[in-house]
Amino acid sequence: MSEIGRLSLLIAFLCAVFSVGSIAWGLRTGRVGLLRSGRNALWAVCGLTLLAVILIGRALVARDFTYRYVAEHTSLDLSPAFAFASLWAGQEGSLLLWLLILASYGAAFLWFYRKRLDPFYDAVAMVVASVAVFFTYLLAFVCSPFRMLANPPLDGQGLNPLLQDPGMMIHPPILYIGYVGFIIPFAFGIAVLLMNRTGTRWIEEVRRWTLFSWMFLGFGVLLGARWAYVELGWGGYWGWDPVENASLMPWLVGTAFLHSVMIEQRRGMLKTWNVALIVLTFELSIFGTFLTRSGVLTSVHSFAESEIGPWFMAFIIGSSTLATALIIYRKALLESENRMDAIVSREGSFLFNNVLFVALTFATFLGTTFPVVSEAVTGAKISVSAPFFNRVNVPIGLALLLLTGAGPVLSWRRATLSVLQRNFLLPTVAGILATLASLPLGLHGVYPIVTVFGSAFVLTTVVMEFARGLQARKDVAASRGAMAIVELMTKNKRRYGGYIIHLGVVMIFIGVLGSSVIQKEAHRPLKTGETLTIGDYALTLKGTEQKMEPGAAMTSAVLDVSQKGKSLGQSRPSKAMYFKSQQPMTEVALHQTLGEDLYMILGGVNDDGTVSIQAYINPLVSLIWIGGIVMVLGTIFTLSDRMRLRREEKEAV
Amino acid sequence: MTSGPRRAAIAALLALAAAAAFPLSARANESAAGSKEDPARAITSQLICPCSCGEVLSGCTCEVGIGLKGYVDKELKAGKDKEAIEASLIAKYGEVILGAPKAKGFNLVVWVAPFAATILGFGIATMFLTRWVRRKRVVAVGPDGAAGAGTPGAKAALDQLRARAEAELREMKE
Repeated sequence: MSEIGRLSLLIAFLCAVFSVGSIAWGLRTGRVGLLRSGRNALWAVCGLTLLAVILIGRALVARDFTYRYVAEHTSLDLSPAFAFASLWAGQEGSLLLWLLILASYGAAFLWFYRKRLDPFYDAVAMVVASVAVFFTYLLAFVCSPFRMLANPPLDGQGLNPLLQDPGMMIHPPILYIGYVGFIIPFAFGIAVLLMNRTGTRWIEEVRRWTLFSWMFLGFGVLLGARWAYVELGWGGYWGWDPVENASLMPWLVGTAFLHSVMIEQRRGMLKTWNVALIVLTFELSIFGTFLTRSGVLTSVHSFAESEIGPWFMAFIIGSSTLATALIIYRKALLESENRMDAIVSREGSFLFNNVLFVALTFATFLGTTFPVVSEAVTGAKISVSAPFFNRVNVPIGLALLLLTGAGPVLSWRRATLSVLQRNFLLPTVAGILATLASLPLGLHGVYPIVTVFGSAFVLTTVVMEFARGLQARKDVAASRGAMAIVELMTKNKRRYGGYIIHLGVVMIFIGVLGSSVIQKEAHRPLKTGETLTIGDYALTLKGTEQKMEPGAAMTSAVLDVSQKGKSLGQSRPSKAMYFKSQQPMTEVALHQTLGEDLYMILGGVNDDGTVSIQAYINPLVSLIWIGGIVMVLGTIFTLSDRMRLRREEKEAV
Repeated sequence: MTSGPRRAAIAALLALAAAAAFPLSARANESAAGSKEDPARAITSQLICPCSCGEVLSGCTCEVGIGLKGYVDKELKAGKDKEAIEASLIAKYGEVILGAPKAKGFNLVVWVAPFAATILGFGIATMFLTRWVRRKRVVAVGPDGAAGAGTPGAKAALDQLRARAEAELREMKE
């Protein structure tokens, strides 16, 4: 079977090379047969990669330890589901998943555009195939998952305990669907430059592909945060870990693009800037995979030793250099009319929003890579972690929050003084009122106050936009109440989907504010019968429990939890000692409500028989998860804008 | 704004103020003990666990982290201040224990560059915006609504403006 696996990846590599060559030659000569062959070869890459995934997946589930990858990442005590999920636990498997998703995007692209005879779409397919050449090469020649062991062990090394969590079953694939999805916008952008294509219709297609990937990447980031919250046991959800940063960066630049693309669609401006953002988003996606899988920076995610680092660096440098050279070469194509009526306009606010998104990305990139740079320059090791990012990124993020409110209420082209007065008065008053309400309640400091003001400002602008839309439709629509809102939203899904996303953003900001600024913590060793008090909660230790789980010994503290004297039942924060890795893992006990989470951790059982318990109250943390779901729903709503799509399809045909 | 949307917006505003006040009031009467104002936490939240876990010390649950948190508590009780405790930890583990590098020497770059880049970005954006606004042709329109001096060029510009207004109105109706 391993020979078939190796062969499938080798043939996939050859097919990818053939696809690029055939389409390139077909575009040059105009021979339709060559273009068709190139497209078919990309289909073959997808099929062959799927075959490779099935073969390695079968070996993982069967625990066939003759495969080195299986022996390194699974063990007999793993459930079949976790054994299969080991596919994305290591470097080779992750890259194979990357390739499968890449090839699937290629296949989806070919399917959606199968009736388009325009060679431009062949050029897009060629760019996708070019990236597939890189990944198939890595998997066929550098780090094959089908490497065999001469002396297979009786049992494998097991799966990293951190990954033995149901969240890890879906977090990496969702994240990868987001990361890899930026290949299509990138391919469109490069194809436009290669084919010297004018017009803006392609930009709407790119916007939809970008939105799709952006949604998955954002959801993947959120799942990662949730996983960190329940699995890492430090009371938080975002530690500015290099790999968290790596997933955030393409999302930030993608967000910038989704705003600035509106200026190009409406005004035909910022063409060069938009192509640059597409290229940067894709390069940061590759960089994220490089960080995750190369082990170049130390983090909890860097499980694998690098044998692919130089290849990735070469690919990132090579592809970004080529893309930049193309942008410069086709400068004339990207020239815009670039005329504006006024700086104070929605266009202006979007441009400043872009500056902030890119600045936030730059700050994150610099902070993530700086320890390596600093060590190379000064020779001394330093850390750049949460304390740095909280000081540098938070003010930039808050400026973005304020612009999130200002942008939608500024008119396109020119915002007159009367428009500014009309649209800013209520949100500003709401912001001030909310701020004043928060001051006597213990919330102080510039950042919390700006967060409260900004959140109230944005929420009010969104409500005003809905109210204004309802008022405008009053004369033409007879429906009232909820139906009127539904009708209003379905008439312009793109606009109102955007507002839903903004609502989600505000919820996340409020959730972060609550769970970080007014978080409470208590910790101390307890004897049986003693109580730890935190806020309104009392945690009384009833004793400890020991039990055996597959692959691990579990120690739990049994806590009677009550709030204001009312019993909330028992909670069992635990520590699991995994036999294979001899690694202790924290199992958090959570009491979740909409208002706050009670987060309990077992520190350990001490030599004197006491049990160390650590507890946090995380106010409003549920708003982060709900806000994330609201953002996903808003994006789905925006993507469902089929009427516009159909109209454009008709125009295209 | 007409009265309907204004009423809705005022209602939303009041609801928002109430919503903002509710969760915060729940926390208002609690003491600062164990909160972010805890002096031990003020120190440990700025440090990184020196073992390979790489966690911020305040949230670290590994043995090394718990040991160091105990050390910080002990030193605070002994009357040492934040600077003295940090200095003793840096002497033992090196600057790598700080969650953010000190803003001096080469490490100043990481503190200055993000804000410098943001200011530079704003400057460049403003410069481009100003240039694009200047490029916009100004059409003088007379009090009767006719274009400027009635020149053919001005009339064409006015027609162009009318067409644009109609297109935007159509777009709004959609």
